[in-house]
Amino acid sequence: MTDLQPVAFGVPAEAIAAELDALGITHVVCVPDSFQRTLIARWQSGNGPRFVGVCTEDEGMGVNAGLYMGGQNPMMCIQNNGIFASINTLKAIALDAKVPTFIMVGQFQRDVNKTIEEQSSRAVRMLEPTLDAWGVPHWRIEGPDDIGALKAAYERAWADQGPAVAIIGAPTL
Amino acid sequence: MERQEAIDILAEGRGGAISVPTMQSVFPWHEAGQGDILNVDASQCMGSAATIGLGLALAQPSRKVMVLDGDGSLLMQLGSLVTVVASGVNNLYHFVFANGLNQSTGNQPLPGQGAFDWVALAKASGYKNALKISEAEDLLEQLPGIWELEGPVLIELTIAREDGPARWAGVPMAKQVASVRRQLAAT
Repeated sequence: MTDLQPVAFGVPAEAIAAELDALGITHVVCVPDSFQRTLIARWQSGNGPRFVGVCTEDEGMGVNAGLYMGGQNPMMCIQNNGIFASINTLKAIALDAKVPTFIMVGQFQRDVNKTIEEQSSRAVRMLEPTLDAWGVPHWRIEGPDDIGALKAAYERAWADQGPAVAIIGAPTL
Repeated sequence: MERQEAIDILAEGRGGAISVPTMQSVFPWHEAGQGDILNVDASQCMGSAATIGLGLALAQPSRKVMVLDGDGSLLMQLGSLVTVVASGVNNLYHFVFANGLNQSTGNQPLPGQGAFDWVALAKASGYKNALKISEAEDLLEQLPGIWELEGPVLIELTIAREDGPARWAGVPMAKQVASVRRQLAAT
């Protein structure tokens, strides 16, 4: 029997929170995600940006846009299935209406012992091809060494005036 | 009442509220001269007017935000009622133009039309106030008082069926998003 070795590693919530604080994030618009559970718990406790819980990712795109117009610096936190669920508003609001939309997307049901391409979950495998189909830039965060991808995705969202995604490949610690 | 009657009364009584119209309220709202100042149309994202308004209400708590929603639109993101309440905003005024039809696609009846109640749905979701207005003269009389109510407030406006082709203002949402952000930053 082969010993399974992780290929993706969790990033401490504190480290991610520090990165987001440095970016001046004011609001986190969130549909819960198991891979970002520790981070969400931190926000929900009142630590950091204002937490805005929404029922669906479509709602989240709208709230994010309103906050942006109102002069705030919001972001979204969702899971992979949420991208599939919100293509219409991703298209109309983030892309067509040119709203900077920085999104952290958890790879729900990803097996951290396998690469993305080896996953049995269609949701995990199809996230990046779906984003590519819509021209949405994305970065993988497969471990602590990739934390700089948060800033890269955020800056791209503002430079493009559109969506950019940081993909969380392992549960945050 | 006719949609145009309601639009004209709301335009006259808007004050300085930020507006977010959607679907078949967009064109007459622009025709009434309300399209250029602190206005963003929820275009090509049916159902999103309430949450766009919610984001603005959260960002600008000292301003009133008016959403000109449709009944078919709101049904598409019905959970928004709960999301609005959960956010804690008190400056959102949610006008729902209710004709029981998906007018933009040819006046098809809404699912469950007649079996649900917007005022009850809003109150059950936790809206601070909810009321139904069916006559133009009642809207004219009650509007000043509505602005004094603590939000979120849902106002169901019963409007008559309109036939004829759907009308669109055709203003790119991107242009409006940038404009609203600029206008709010300047005040």
